[in-house]
Amino acid sequence: MPKTLSRWLPLALLTLAALALRTRDLAARPMHADEANQAVRAGELLETGRYAYDPRDHHGPLLYYGVLPVAWCRGQGTLAGLDEVTVRLVPALAGTACVLLLGLLAAPLGRWPSLAAAAFLAASPPAVYYSRYFIQETLLAASALAAFVCARQWLREGRARWAGAAGACLGLMLASKESAPLFALAAFAAFLLARAAGGPPLPGRPARGLLAGAAAAIAVTALFYSSFGAHPSGLRDLLGGYGQALARLRGANTGHEKPWWYFLRLFTWWRAGGLVFEEAGFAALVLAGFCAALARGTPLLRWAAAYSGLVLIALSAVPYKTPWHAVDLAPGFALLAAGAVAAPSRTRPGRWAASAAALAVLGMLAFQADRSARAYASDPRNPFAYVHSSPDVLRFRPMAEAALGRSPDGVIRVISEEYWPLPWYFRGLARVGYWDRPPADCDGALVIASADLAGAVRSRLRGAYAESYLGLRPGFVCVVFTPRP
Amino acid sequence: MKLARMLRPVCALLPLALAAAAAEDLVPLKIELPKPLFVGTPRPIKVSNLEPQQAGNPAPLLVPAGTALLSRNKPVTASDSLPVIGELAFVTDGDKSGVEGSYVELGPGLQWVQIDLGAAHKLAAMAVWHFHAEARVYHAVVVQVSDDPAFKAGVTTLFNNDDANADGLGKGSDFAYIETYRGRVIDARGATARYVRLYSNGNTSDELNHYTEVEVYGSP
Repeated sequence: MPKTLSRWLPLALLTLAALALRTRDLAARPMHADEANQAVRAGELLETGRYAYDPRDHHGPLLYYGVLPVAWCRGQGTLAGLDEVTVRLVPALAGTACVLLLGLLAAPLGRWPSLAAAAFLAASPPAVYYSRYFIQETLLAASALAAFVCARQWLREGRARWAGAAGACLGLMLASKESAPLFALAAFAAFLLARAAGGPPLPGRPARGLLAGAAAAIAVTALFYSSFGAHPSGLRDLLGGYGQALARLRGANTGHEKPWWYFLRLFTWWRAGGLVFEEAGFAALVLAGFCAALARGTPLLRWAAAYSGLVLIALSAVPYKTPWHAVDLAPGFALLAAGAVAAPSRTRPGRWAASAAALAVLGMLAFQADRSARAYASDPRNPFAYVHSSPDVLRFRPMAEAALGRSPDGVIRVISEEYWPLPWYFRGLARVGYWDRPPADCDGALVIASADLAGAVRSRLRGAYAESYLGLRPGFVCVVFTPRP
Repeated sequence: MKLARMLRPVCALLPLALAAAAAEDLVPLKIELPKPLFVGTPRPIKVSNLEPQQAGNPAPLLVPAGTALLSRNKPVTASDSLPVIGELAFVTDGDKSGVEGSYVELGPGLQWVQIDLGAAHKLAAMAVWHFHAEARVYHAVVVQVSDDPAFKAGVTTLFNNDDANADGLGKGSDFAYIETYRGRVIDARGATARYVRLYSNGNTSDELNHYTEVEVYGSP
C-alpha cells in the first residue's frame, strides 16, 4: 500500500464512520423549538435573500448562511421546500469536519493516538447528538478546531498565510456565536500556560502573521454580520449581542440556571427516570490524560489540559448552562483521553492494555451516542434532549392540512404562550396565525390552544368543536379544537 | 316538463341575487394573521404534579355496597413482555406514588396491559394511573373486559377515548384527560369478567406507555 494511502486511509475511514453516525435517520427526531426558530429564519434567508443579525437572540449568521449551499445542492429554494435533512446536514458536516480536524491537530501525539483522539470525538455522545441538531455549537467547535490547526501550522512554519487562515477561522468562530471570544481567549491563555513549561521557538516576524490573522478575522466577521454588505448596522448590533450574552451568562432568572457540577455529571453519569447515560470510562481516560499532561506531557497535551480546564471552569462557573456547551469540551477531552492511551504505549504490554482500554471506551461511547441520538433522541430523560419537543408535534401538520382541506378559506389559529416548533411544521400553509392570548374571535378551521388558555378560548368559540389533546413538549399540553361537521 | 317547472322559481330569483351581490360589491374577507414571534430556548417546566383542569374533588362514583378491591397483586401480562423500565407487577402492587420505581414503561406506539383477576367477578369500577409526575395525556386509551384471555370473544368496552380509531378497536366518544394524582375512575357498569385489558398509544410527552397502578373494584 502506498505510504500516503496507508497514512491517510484510517483517518478517512474514521471520518466516514463519523459522517454515518451523524447523518443516519437525520429527519426522524422532531424539531426542537430552537431548531425550528432558526430553520424558519434560514428559510426566509433562502427565499428572500434577506438576513439581519438579531442581537437579542438566535446567535451569529454563519448557521443561516451555511444552509444556503446545502439547500441549493438539494434543489430547495423556499422555506416551504426546506426540510429537516437540509438544515441538519449543516451541523452534521461541521461535526464530521471536527473529527478530521482533531485527527490533524492531534498528529504530534503519534499516529495511533491521533486516530484515537479522532475516534473518541467521532463517538462522543454530545458531539454526535448536537451534530444532528440545527444549532450553532458544532459550527463553533469546527471553526475553533480549524483555527487551532492553522495556528499550529503557523507556529511551526512561520508562513503568514497560515496565520491568515487561522484568522479567517477565528472570524467564522465569531460569526457562529457570541460566546466565541471565550474559547479564543481560553486557547490563547492555554498556549501561554503550556509554553511556560517550555516549547519550540516562536516563528520569526510574528507581527506580520498576527496582522494577517487579525485582518482576516475582522474581514470575515464583518462580512457575515453586515449580511455581506446589505445590513451594515449588523456590525454595531454585534456589540449589543455581546452585552446580551454577558447578561445571560450572569444568569438573571433565565430558567437555565444549573449547579456548577452540571458538565461533570454530563460527562460521567446521568440517571433519570430509570435510564442511565454514562461516559464514566471516557471520563477516567480524560482524567488520566490530564494527570499525564501535567506530569510529563508534550506541549500539545499540556495545551489541551490547560484549554479544557479553563473552558470547564468558565462554563461551570456561570449559572447559565445548556447541555450543548458540552460540544465545546468534547474535542479537548478527546485529546486528553488519547494522551492517556498514548502514555503507556511505549512498552508492548502497555500498548496492549492501552489498546484494550481505548477499544472498550470507544465501544461504550458509540453505544451511548447511538442510544442518545436515535433511540431516546427526544426523550426527556436524555440529558441532551433539553426541553425537547414531543413526538406529538409531528401530528399537527396532517391535522392542519386536513382542516384546510375541509375548509380551504378557513383560518388555523394557534393561541398559546409558547408555540414553537409549530411555525416550522406549518411552513408553506396559508392562513395560519399565532396569538399569545385569546383574540376576540377564536373560531377557525382548526384552533390549537395551550391547556392554560383553552378555557378562555372555549368560552369565545361560537361554533361546535370536538376537542383532543396533543403535546408540544413534556409538561406542555395543547387542546386542539376541530369543528364538528 | 317537470324539471322546467321546478327550475322556474330559481330562474326568477337568480337575477335578483346577482343584482344584490353587485349592489353590495361583496369580496372575500381578508384577515391579517399575526406571524410567529422568534423566541429563545424554552425554559424547562418544573412541576412535581399538576391539576390544571378542575378545582376541588370530583364527585365520587357510586358503587354497590360490599364492593372490594380485586386486583391487588394479581398477575399482569402485557404486549411488551420485557419492559425497559419497571416491572409488570408494579401495575397492581398498590404503589401509586408516581416516582421512579413505581411505574412500568412499555414500548412506543400501541401497547396493552392485562390483569387476571383469577375468576370472573361482577365489576363496579376501575381506577387508572398512567404517569402523573407531569401534565400529559395518554392517547387512544381503551379499557375492555372479557372472560377470554385473548380478548377475541365476549369483549365489553368500558372506556374508549380513541376518537380516530388509532388502536383499531373502533372509535370511542369518551374524553381524553390530563393525568393527575387522582388517576381516572371508570364506571365498570356491573360487567362480569375475569380479565381486564387497558390499551394506550403513546402520550403527549413521548411515544411510550406507562402504568403506575390499575385498581379493579367489584363483588368479591
